[in-house]
Amino acid sequence: MQQDNVIKLERHGPVTMLNIQGDITSFSEPFLNDAYKDANDQGAQKILLKFDKDAYINSGGIAVLIQILANTKRNNQQISITGLSDHFKKIFHMVGITKFAKIYDTVENALEVLSA
Amino acid sequence: MTHKYIFFMISRLFCLRCQFNPQEIFGLREQKGKREIFRMLKDHTIELSLPSVIGYERIAMGCLASFAQSVGFKQERIEDLKTAVAEACINAVQHGNKDSPDARVNVTMEFKDDAFNIAVMDKGDGIPELPTDPNIEKIIDDQEPATGFGLFLIKKLVDQVKFNEMTNQGHVVRMIFQQRV
Repeated sequence: MQQDNVIKLERHGPVTMLNIQGDITSFSEPFLNDAYKDANDQGAQKILLKFDKDAYINSGGIAVLIQILANTKRNNQQISITGLSDHFKKIFHMVGITKFAKIYDTVENALEVLSA
Repeated sequence: MTHKYIFFMISRLFCLRCQFNPQEIFGLREQKGKREIFRMLKDHTIELSLPSVIGYERIAMGCLASFAQSVGFKQERIEDLKTAVAEACINAVQHGNKDSPDARVNVTMEFKDDAFNIAVMDKGDGIPELPTDPNIEKIIDDQEPATGFGLFLIKKLVDQVKFNEMTNQGHVVRMIFQQRV
């Protein structure tokens, strides 16, 4: 039942967007870590995580994402999130992710604010 | 594909024991409307026996979502149900059955009195010490491990939860969801 993620790095001005396809679970750890490492190696300062609207995110995936947040804090990077369903916006707020990453409703809105 | 057929396929493929015939229930829905369904589903129960493997919690999520939709739960509440039952199943696989491939995770879903009573059973000895709620600031600063989110979400999303109910068949996590939004 393991599913691979496909993560594409996209540069939008000062923003490096990780376009993440697939569900976010503990199996996502190597894919997310590799994508983050690539972004970091490219000197990314503003990182935007874009999820599929219908992605399934479980506690294992949340733990992986929080490790990414920890890395961005250590590296003085700004991290933001978009593409979440209303349910997972609520879940991310519950676990405290919104204390460290701003959530935007749309990619366009995120890029506009982060590029200003 | 309608929920009727999704539910039917899930039932045929994965429900090893059903105490009712889902075809009859959904047939009634089409002929007489939603209020009739409520009467028919009361006191009925669905039981799933899942492989103790991460990923199969999605079967429980899909089945529960179909069941909840058929009795009129709003989508927001269905998403809460799905997340809570998924986390209970994941906990049963990893901590209850300790990733044993021969074990099973049994999920019982009962809709009664406008609420779901969901039991997730594994072969473990229960949760000896319930973890404190995860503190994201401490996790980010590497002062505590990034664990405990599953039980935290269950507690946040359900109306009532009881851990460590021991039966002669195993350890049960029991959750109650009211229909309100």
